Amino acid sequence: MATVSLKKLTKRYGPLEIVHGIDLEVADREFIALVGPSGCGKSTTLRMIAGLEEISGGAVEIGGKVVNDLPPRSRNISMVFQSYALYPHMTVRENMGFSLKIAGRSQDEIAKRVDEAAAILDLNHLLERRPSQLSGGQRQRVAMGRAIVRDPDVFLFDEPLSNLDAKLRTQMRTEIKKLHAKVKSTVVYVTHDQVEAMTLSDRIVIMRDGYIEQVGTPDEVFKRPATRFVAGFIGSPPMNLREAIVTDGKLAFPNGTKLPLPRQFRDRVAAGDKVVFGLRPDDAYPTGHGLHSGEETDVHALELPVTVTEPLGNETLVFADFDGADLVARMLNPRPLKSGDKVNMSFDLSQAHLFSAETGRTLRA
Amino acid sequence: MKNWKLSAPFLLLLPSFIVLAAVVIVPLLLSFYSSFTPFRLTKPESFFVFIGLRNYINILSDWNFWVAFGRTVLLLTIALNLEMLLGLGLALLVEKASRGQRILRTIMMFPMMFSPILVGFQFKFMFNDNIGLVNNALQALGITNNAIPWLIDGTLAFIAILTAEIWSSTSVFAILILAGLLAMPREPVEAARVDGCTPWQTFRYVTWPFLMPFAYIAMTIRSLDVARAYDIVKIMTDGGPAGRTELIWTLVARTGYSDARMGVANAMAYFSILLSILFTVYFFRKLAAARTQIGAEW
Amino acid sequence: MQMDANASARTKKRLLSIAHKVALFLAMLIICLPGIWIVLASLRPTVEIMAKPPVWIPQELSLNAYVSMFSGVGKGGIPVLDYFRNSLIISITSTVIAIIIGMAGGYAFARFRFKAKSGLFLGLMLTRTVPGIALSLPLFFVFARVGIIDTHFGLILAYVALNIPFTIWLIDGFFRQVPKDLAEAAQIDGCTRWQAFWQVEFPLAGPGIASAGIFAFLTSWNEFALASQLTRSINSKTLPVGLLDYTAEFTIDWRGMCALAVVMIIPALTLTFIVQKHLVGGLTSGAVKG
Repeated sequence: MATVSLKKLTKRYGPLEIVHGIDLEVADREFIALVGPSGCGKSTTLRMIAGLEEISGGAVEIGGKVVNDLPPRSRNISMVFQSYALYPHMTVRENMGFSLKIAGRSQDEIAKRVDEAAAILDLNHLLERRPSQLSGGQRQRVAMGRAIVRDPDVFLFDEPLSNLDAKLRTQMRTEIKKLHAKVKSTVVYVTHDQVEAMTLSDRIVIMRDGYIEQVGTPDEVFKRPATRFVAGFIGSPPMNLREAIVTDGKLAFPNGTKLPLPRQFRDRVAAGDKVVFGLRPDDAYPTGHGLHSGEETDVHALELPVTVTEPLGNETLVFADFDGADLVARMLNPRPLKSGDKVNMSFDLSQAHLFSAETGRTLRA
Repeated sequence: MKNWKLSAPFLLLLPSFIVLAAVVIVPLLLSFYSSFTPFRLTKPESFFVFIGLRNYINILSDWNFWVAFGRTVLLLTIALNLEMLLGLGLALLVEKASRGQRILRTIMMFPMMFSPILVGFQFKFMFNDNIGLVNNALQALGITNNAIPWLIDGTLAFIAILTAEIWSSTSVFAILILAGLLAMPREPVEAARVDGCTPWQTFRYVTWPFLMPFAYIAMTIRSLDVARAYDIVKIMTDGGPAGRTELIWTLVARTGYSDARMGVANAMAYFSILLSILFTVYFFRKLAAARTQIGAEW
Repeated sequence: MQMDANASARTKKRLLSIAHKVALFLAMLIICLPGIWIVLASLRPTVEIMAKPPVWIPQELSLNAYVSMFSGVGKGGIPVLDYFRNSLIISITSTVIAIIIGMAGGYAFARFRFKAKSGLFLGLMLTRTVPGIALSLPLFFVFARVGIIDTHFGLILAYVALNIPFTIWLIDGFFRQVPKDLAEAAQIDGCTRWQAFWQVEFPLAGPGIASAGIFAFLTSWNEFALASQLTRSINSKTLPVGLLDYTAEFTIDWRGMCALAVVMIIPALTLTFIVQKHLVGGLTSGAVKG
């Protein structure tokens, strides 16, 4: 088991820089997720850790040793690919035992370790099949089995669940979590799905355009997003974000709507500052129907016309017109609402976020 | 590490370069040089006499050359177009067949595997004025009583050669276009039919654009090897009678080997090379364009 | 009204289906006829071939033409066995070499990024476009100088060069069909690049490479323009050149020629059946994915 650290890690293709000198420390046995939109450099970073992509600048250390110029096979890592990359001409058993065979282990040892890994993943009855005879979920498990058999220092996952359908994805997510509890190794997990990142990892690294936006526990990145981008990326449905200007104790929105300046930001902004106001759908709700109804400390209510509602069973998403554009609110204990109805919307401003319109960084202390 | 990565593809390609340089490039440079000499095989010393562009001027002012050149371009244009059309038709016929597609496809590949020299021989046999299948059949059916001089009359011989050429190469088109038809997603065609397109419109606006890259691969492959027509002509008429089916390639062979005028033959050969290169580059570009065109939707 | 429209549409459909079957049958007949005719002629006595009016239904069939062809120096002094042996040696050797060289080149195109890649590819293809007869002029001269005219070696060398471009094209296509992920997974599983190639990529591209090999074999087996100039005697003459020997004589022995033609086409056809599935795949995968 080992730590992974990235030091000013940079990737360039010719004049084009993809990853801009990022720093990251992954602790031993930590499950860390790299998340971000496509093209943010997360996969490239993972591939540099794996040794599949040349490092243009900086360093990758595994277990405290610089591995920049080591080929993948000397890094003692294993990787689960998005496409699974199972060898089609080998059976499941051969696929899982391939790395041990290459390492020159004895037949007995290979058989024993493959059987062990197969037992963990419930693959025993599939060992003699070929990948083409397996379902998507089974292939996924074989790919993980192949990774476990090596007993590596670090597991790398490259969007391992994105080829599965929604139901299977949820199921495999749980399996990966169980697996990590069992094998307790360092994991670097790349995904574009923030739900996967939130549910699985100890810490999340949010990347954009080759930079790290924020590193933190799921709770931190959700409750205290460091930037406007993180605020919009994490959480579903996404946070409502609106540009506004601070005017003597109020936030003035472009079309004239006004909200009181949330208390926690009173000392952080000055009149005339351009800011981005953010409020999660959880913190906006038809009065009396909210997630935290009754616990609020800084509530402001407005009459807003409903544009559309999306019932989800236990709750309903209410889209209401706020200063000329839709604002999403979450309503518990649903009550019938039609498009065009006026609704008294409560804003829990104690939970509101403000970001600098200029830099996008949070204005929180 | 970095240097090794840069040179890996180079090292891998090196053997190909060496062989091609030794067998194609260097000899071609040599022949390019000799096209500026009055070189005759019988007079080795003539290899070192430089006469500038005289060979080229002679060729360009030689009516026979231009006739052969024009005939070659005509043959290729007619043959390639008909092959494409017939190949498309054949592919559509086979694609529509509900049973026995595998066997039909295999039969379709048949002519591709015939050596051009064999194709020439087959058709020489079939078009023989005395005992050939074609004349026998025409006479038996009562269409004519005369023995039609297929390989002796200039125009008829051209048609006979064209037939042989088309027979041997249509399958390249048919097979690749069929591959395209089979790879084609069903939804766009179904959408077009629901949208009210007639079968012809569906074909014209949906199917054909999709098939285009496949047709161009076939064209490119064919153009790599257009000169195989030489083999067919060589055995069927050998450019005769009296030069009336002479193609640029048979003319090169005659000038170079029978008349031993290597210098002139090499100069002519350069025209034939140029012709091949033009055909290939043209279709290669079309292929690239068609590829990017449909690439966007895939 | 409704019924009528349905009925007429049905009739139309049935007519179209019949027309389709007839057209398909005619097309297949035209494709097969020349071959069948030659096989038939090789089995019939010369009298019957030459008969006027023609004899349509064969009266007697025999293998005499084949027997006389293979019994030492055949009829008309054509040493078919020697030609056959030369053809085999030259085709097989040149194919094996072209495949090895083409595999290296195809792999480079499929797996590496480098400068001027597409230009280089086109350049390679263009070396193939040089008409055999045009190439034969300087090759004849050079080979004569080096002293390898009328040898197996000379023709093998020429055929290797002839086959490399197309082999690279095909093999490039087959390697592209093998996902890059697999080689990467193998490297993570502890393989060197070399091991990853032999353990994973080669076995997967294997059937495709084999069909590229068969295609190269057929090209060499069928080639005429170069062989006709670079060979002189039974030392190195191949079957296509041998076939021309027959026609060069004044009295054409149609039956013998047909028999020789059949001998020539049998290996080619046998291989066609093996190659057909993969060949098209290799050609088109390059075209579509590029």
